[in-house]
Amino acid sequence: MEDERAGRGAKVRVLIENATNSTEPDLDPRLLKAIKSVVRCSDSDLRIAAHTLMDLMKRDHSQVRYLSLLIIDQLFMRSKLFRNLLVENMDNLLSLSVGFRRNQPLPAPPAVANRLRSKAIEFLEKWNDSFGFHYRQLRLGVDYLKNTLRFQFPELQANAARLQQERRERERKSKEILLNKYETFKENFPSMKDEIHSTINEIEECLEIVRIREEQVPLVPLDEEDFEEFRSSEMWQIRLSTLEEAEKVHENNDNKVVFDALRELYKLVMTKHLVSVQEWISVLVRVEVTDNKFRDSALKELIDTKNCLQSVKKKCEEAGFALRNTGNNDEEDFWEEGKITSIESGGSGARHERNEDRAAVSISNEVKKKDLASSCKEPGDKKMLGCEGGGSQSNSLKSKLLAEAPFVKWGPHLDNWGSKRDVLANQRGLDLEGHWGRVDYDAVIPAEKISELSVQATVYKEDTVEIQPCRAPLSKGRLCERRDLRVCPFHGPIIPRDNEGKPIDQDPSKDETNSAVGKDLAERLARQAVKNVREREKEVTRKRQIDKQELQHAKRAKVREHNESVLKDAALASTSRSAAIGEDIETTNRKNPMARNKKQSLSSMLRKKVTTKDRLAQRLLNARASEGTVFQLTLGEDVRYREAFPNQW
Amino acid sequence: MWREIGDREAGKIRPNAFANRFKRNRIESLQLSNHKDIVSAHRGSINSLQVDLTEGRYLLSGASDASVAAYDVQRPTEYEGNGIIGKHKCLFVVDRTHESGHQYAVSSAVWYPIDTGLFVTGSYDYHINVWDTNTTQVVTNFKMPGKVYKTAMSSLATSHMLIAAGTEDVQVRLCDIASGALAHTLSGHRDGVMTVEWSSSSEWVLVTGGCDGAIRFWDIRRAGCFLVLDQSQSQLGRRPPILDRSATNKVSSSKSSSPSPNLPVKARAAQRKLSNGSSMKQSPIAKIPAKGPLRQRLHPGMLSAQDRATAHYGAVTGLKVTEDGMHLLSAGSDSRLRLWDVESGRNTLVNFETVRLQTSKPMQLATSQNSALVFVPCMTTVKAFDMWSGRTDLTFRGHYECVNCCYFSFQDQELYTGGNDRQILVWSPSRLVYDEMDEGPHQDQDNWSD
Repeated sequence: MEDERAGRGAKVRVLIENATNSTEPDLDPRLLKAIKSVVRCSDSDLRIAAHTLMDLMKRDHSQVRYLSLLIIDQLFMRSKLFRNLLVENMDNLLSLSVGFRRNQPLPAPPAVANRLRSKAIEFLEKWNDSFGFHYRQLRLGVDYLKNTLRFQFPELQANAARLQQERRERERKSKEILLNKYETFKENFPSMKDEIHSTINEIEECLEIVRIREEQVPLVPLDEEDFEEFRSSEMWQIRLSTLEEAEKVHENNDNKVVFDALRELYKLVMTKHLVSVQEWISVLVRVEVTDNKFRDSALKELIDTKNCLQSVKKKCEEAGFALRNTGNNDEEDFWEEGKITSIESGGSGARHERNEDRAAVSISNEVKKKDLASSCKEPGDKKMLGCEGGGSQSNSLKSKLLAEAPFVKWGPHLDNWGSKRDVLANQRGLDLEGHWGRVDYDAVIPAEKISELSVQATVYKEDTVEIQPCRAPLSKGRLCERRDLRVCPFHGPIIPRDNEGKPIDQDPSKDETNSAVGKDLAERLARQAVKNVREREKEVTRKRQIDKQELQHAKRAKVREHNESVLKDAALASTSRSAAIGEDIETTNRKNPMARNKKQSLSSMLRKKVTTKDRLAQRLLNARASEGTVFQLTLGEDVRYREAFPNQW
Repeated sequence: MWREIGDREAGKIRPNAFANRFKRNRIESLQLSNHKDIVSAHRGSINSLQVDLTEGRYLLSGASDASVAAYDVQRPTEYEGNGIIGKHKCLFVVDRTHESGHQYAVSSAVWYPIDTGLFVTGSYDYHINVWDTNTTQVVTNFKMPGKVYKTAMSSLATSHMLIAAGTEDVQVRLCDIASGALAHTLSGHRDGVMTVEWSSSSEWVLVTGGCDGAIRFWDIRRAGCFLVLDQSQSQLGRRPPILDRSATNKVSSSKSSSPSPNLPVKARAAQRKLSNGSSMKQSPIAKIPAKGPLRQRLHPGMLSAQDRATAHYGAVTGLKVTEDGMHLLSAGSDSRLRLWDVESGRNTLVNFETVRLQTSKPMQLATSQNSALVFVPCMTTVKAFDMWSGRTDLTFRGHYECVNCCYFSFQDQELYTGGNDRQILVWSPSRLVYDEMDEGPHQDQDNWSD
């Protein structure tokens, strides 16, 4: 007995382990069935199964855990004892399957781990929906995951319920709408019916008239010999069709009015009556009402009317004019008209004479302007608006006026241009635009005040001046591209130059008098001479200075050499160490500025390559630059000091 | 059970014993209650739980989101699932939006022991507020020098109305509700005081446990503490509880090992019986001078070696005096639970099978009827240990985060636990009567399809 039980327990364990030992995303249904059937028979097996499954959930592999979870779900939905056993360890199970504890993340294959997590949450929700009322632990788990850790639950049931609810709501709404339509239909039905019938009658009458007229036209009877001619069947066919064509009523001046009326009526039938009848029929078919009597009778009538309409339509179409002459034809006409306006605007503008509308004039004006701009492209002649009226003598007065009229920018003041009406003050004070609120007919703002208010405001607009480039020749052969207003910082005042960059002599004195040219030339020559002399002098002085400096340098070098030798002697006289120190000092002294120089050169080399942007940036980083210059200056001073006073250091 | 009732009817069992046996059975079957569902009104971890001492009906909870709420644990406010689940919603909640509510976490919320008209809350915003329950208005408040970790009122007190407050500060302060002033400051601890507990045998004895690991006993009528517990001073076994006659074998072991002579203990026990009865003049302190060898304990400040003794390595996070006031249970951040003999001041060396305790927060322990079991929050679970052997009797799993506090209601034999997951769980004896379990929307039965 005991043995047998142990054996069966082992069997369950083996079954479960086999079922979970697979890489499939699903359980083997045969194994699952076996597990279920074994577990169903005895509680002890169920206990063992629960234990084994919990052990498997602790395995360090998501796939094993996933499959175990599937088995757990199967058993959980079925056995009360299993639920009781599982629920005891709910937090453990959840932490192993959802992995919400940070120190116990889900194990290795991440894809499976994700599946495991979502499945676990789904199962938890399902369990809670089914058994939540009996197990506080389930409720706690759901509450914790949902409200504390904010896990997203699939909420399958809730979603389904919501969808159901929404659908019901939609249905109810559409039903209501239908009922409303039905009610209005009930009210409108008699009048609508009358309308339709009158339309049909009119059409009939019109057709009648047309036909009568047509009958007056004599039909050429078919002679015998003619018949002979048409013996061949093809010819006969053609003959028939022409006859048919001839039978059709054609539009001419006589029946134009009738045709127009017919067209109108046909349009009415097509666009309004047929559509509405169709709609009403569908409403009547769909609506659910208590008394079906009215509905049925109305439906019958509607169908009759519909048939009637259709037959009329057919007749119209047979008459041959209907399709061709309705709808799109009209539209085409309209469109053409529009084109005509735009074309004509350049020429006579006769059409526009008729309408005094200001807006239309302005439109045509603009069109004209455009045409003008395209025709004569000279920018200077933009203001020649008036001359456009050359072709149209008939409205020369208007064109003259237009030529005189000032250009006014668009603005709200144009709304009441020239109007001398008083304006009612609104309840809210001077809110002229707003027309809501109580109106007091005594509170009136006089017209002059309004005109004061709507003074045209203009913003000062600088007329753009193109700043000429400097165009002084550069060393590389190009011209200076700088654009300064008056003075280029590198090349002095900006003067007109030729293509090589040579200044074109264009002295401001040029426009004064031509007679002064000779005098001017002399003056310039004199100036040049003075300049030359001065330059030469400068050069001389500079040379002298350089000589002097060289002399001094030589002198100082001599002194320095002397100094060094003296020092060396002194060092030799003292200890070797101090000599070494001296050497050291010397080397460092010599080295340091060297090194610094080198460094500076390196950095300057670097700096030479930098772009304008960098230069700007450097200039902006003023503090560092100034610091650098200060440092350089002091360094230079130091060196100079040493050079100048070699005796004193 | 029916046999026992029959015995009781026949007079074979004494009423007390019958009740005790019945209660013990109920406690043995404690489990997560499905029919009592406290809807937590808190958005932070629950730090303190207490059911009022007069009616055993109103549960007071204090939480980290600075809110305090009270629940009626007897009568549910609504039912769910065809009346299976009784939802207990809070009767009132006082939170940060209240004009005189606390600003930071409420660390401790206790009822006034005499009635439910007042309750006391201590908070990390340095304040102790005394509230009128009916109007939920602050009656008095006390400003403390630091975060308040624990407040306690003596349930025995008839001559004083003092709130003992353990704070970040080294001094323990006693706040007098009657005058609205600080009555004493007790200095001796070298670090903040995590927990305070009034003795259950004397209204003047206060026990405090500090972050310095020391447990000090104070007689509030005198200056200084009169006892510092030392973990290195131990005795094997325990003295017999006054009313319990079953543990005689342990007495023998204590007799042989403990240095304290057997005779005075018995004499003291006899005396205690008397003092429990009526006279207030006699107190345990008054008797101590009679004992020669213990005389020096009265002035431990003189003996620096004794004054520096520690009860735990690290902080003392929880204290609980047993019902008879003879033993003290302490929990420390060294994850140890120690049972102390109050009389001798020695560690009884009971080995509690704790795994791990929460170390950073003060915790609230609870004992069951006759101090047979002690309920200890161990991380996410609550464990019930046998007081005298230290064995784990029951483990309560249900919280998803650390448990901070537990409270055992003697009247209903129910355990209330609150934790960091903001839940207040009720653990109740399994119900005997299942008649109202007419099933809900889904039957909780086996459902084998194949």
